Amino acid sequence: MKVLKYSDVTPQNLYLNRRKFVEALGLTSLALVASPTTAKQKYSTSAKPNTIDEITNYNNFYEFGTSKTDPAKYAHSLTTDPWEITFEGVAQNKKKYDLAEILKGKAIQERIYRLRCVEGWSMVIPWIGFPLRDLINELEVNNNAKFVAFETVYRPTEMRGQKRATLDWPYREGLTMDEALHPLTFIATGLYGKELPNQNGAPFRLVVPWKYGFKSIKSITKISFMEEQPYTTWSSENPREYGFYSNVNPNVDHPRWSQATERVIGEGLFGKRRKTELFNGYIEEVGDLYKGMDLKKYY
Amino acid sequence: MASSSLFRSLPISLLYCILLTPIPLYFYWGTVDQLGPDPLRSLEHKYGELGLIFLLATLSISPLFKYAKINLVRYRRCIGLVAFYYIVSHICVYFFLDIGLSIDILLSDLQKRYYIIAGFFAFITLIPLALTSNNFALRKLNIKTWNKIHSFVYIAIILSIFHFILMSKTWTVELYFYTGITTFILILKIKSTKLYKKLSTYSNADISK
Repeated sequence: MKVLKYSDVTPQNLYLNRRKFVEALGLTSLALVASPTTAKQKYSTSAKPNTIDEITNYNNFYEFGTSKTDPAKYAHSLTTDPWEITFEGVAQNKKKYDLAEILKGKAIQERIYRLRCVEGWSMVIPWIGFPLRDLINELEVNNNAKFVAFETVYRPTEMRGQKRATLDWPYREGLTMDEALHPLTFIATGLYGKELPNQNGAPFRLVVPWKYGFKSIKSITKISFMEEQPYTTWSSENPREYGFYSNVNPNVDHPRWSQATERVIGEGLFGKRRKTELFNGYIEEVGDLYKGMDLKKYY
Repeated sequence: MASSSLFRSLPISLLYCILLTPIPLYFYWGTVDQLGPDPLRSLEHKYGELGLIFLLATLSISPLFKYAKINLVRYRRCIGLVAFYYIVSHICVYFFLDIGLSIDILLSDLQKRYYIIAGFFAFITLIPLALTSNNFALRKLNIKTWNKIHSFVYIAIILSIFHFILMSKTWTVELYFYTGITTFILILKIKSTKLYKKLSTYSNADISK
């Protein structure tokens, strides 16, 4: 069988444009920074972003190893181009899309979001990408879908951490339909105005700023719309400690450690802890999604 | 043999200096931004891990002598105390820097967090060992009492490993490694105590040290 190369199946202008396109994201983001009336101001935090060095050298991406420095060391081995994403639970005939097809026509923007890890540390990250709803709205999603499930690529030859059963691979995460359609829910394809580094989940990752970081699944290859609550990796690994919702909440402790405060990455050895905010400070935007819900029960 | 005898004649004070140097060195690196984006956690983990390593090193000295005829017994007190100093440093980072001297957090951690409870008791268990490690205590105490106190180290290592397991999100390579070594040392110890009872005539020379 002849193995088709990316260049064989993609029109050359698109093929060449892909890199250019990603480079252009940088300019887009600069334009956004310069203009105070864009969406960026509405959804971005005014907190000072962490340095690119911090963001790219302190990662939880167990597919490349369990240490925070493993992803920076080993993620380069992942091939992110070509990249295909498969959709399930959609009515249209075409289920597989090349990343370039998905990105085509998307209004790319910058979002400076807080990231709060379930381990008790936090960062501020200037993502580049588009709201997930922009993608969902283009698809013929089944009417009865109540959840969206995401799957990270499974490629043990390129992701050395997958050779060990640290987690039940492939990594899977999910959201309710309401959460997925929320304007804050974002697909990041870039960082700091540049192409997304592999250790940060290239080429296509989810960012849900009001949930603990592990919900923001990286290097996505499959998106399924379903009626039932999907399997999610950490909540299956340890249901007592990690819930399906996993909204940032200082009042609901992890069974083994407190979630009341967080270490702010970049503050150094003598940095003061920051008080963790409900929904990571995005209560005004997302509070309505959980009105009347017992957050202690649905952690 | 030459290197071995050189090693044997290594002055204890020099050994203390070498083994303790990482304590100020890592602290210094932490202050000058050389420990990565999360220097506090790095420092805390480094001290903790080195404490565990030296604790395991102390516990390896008996089996090394017994099974490999390598005699490092004269360095055991030094290595044991070094382990203790690393553990004290580890706790200082937790108390002074991590929780910022907050008695409230300390008390709530000691009530709720199993890994902190395990770690705290491991430390408490080691205090009498450190206090009776000097020659004065050795002379004052009856050897049986002294040995009993110093066998607490096995409780401490079990608690330390639990501390490590309970704070981890998954079974990492490091966790398997240290748990494996600890299990191995404990098995040797259990075997040797049985042997001690049965064959005390020829094995008591190396066992009760």
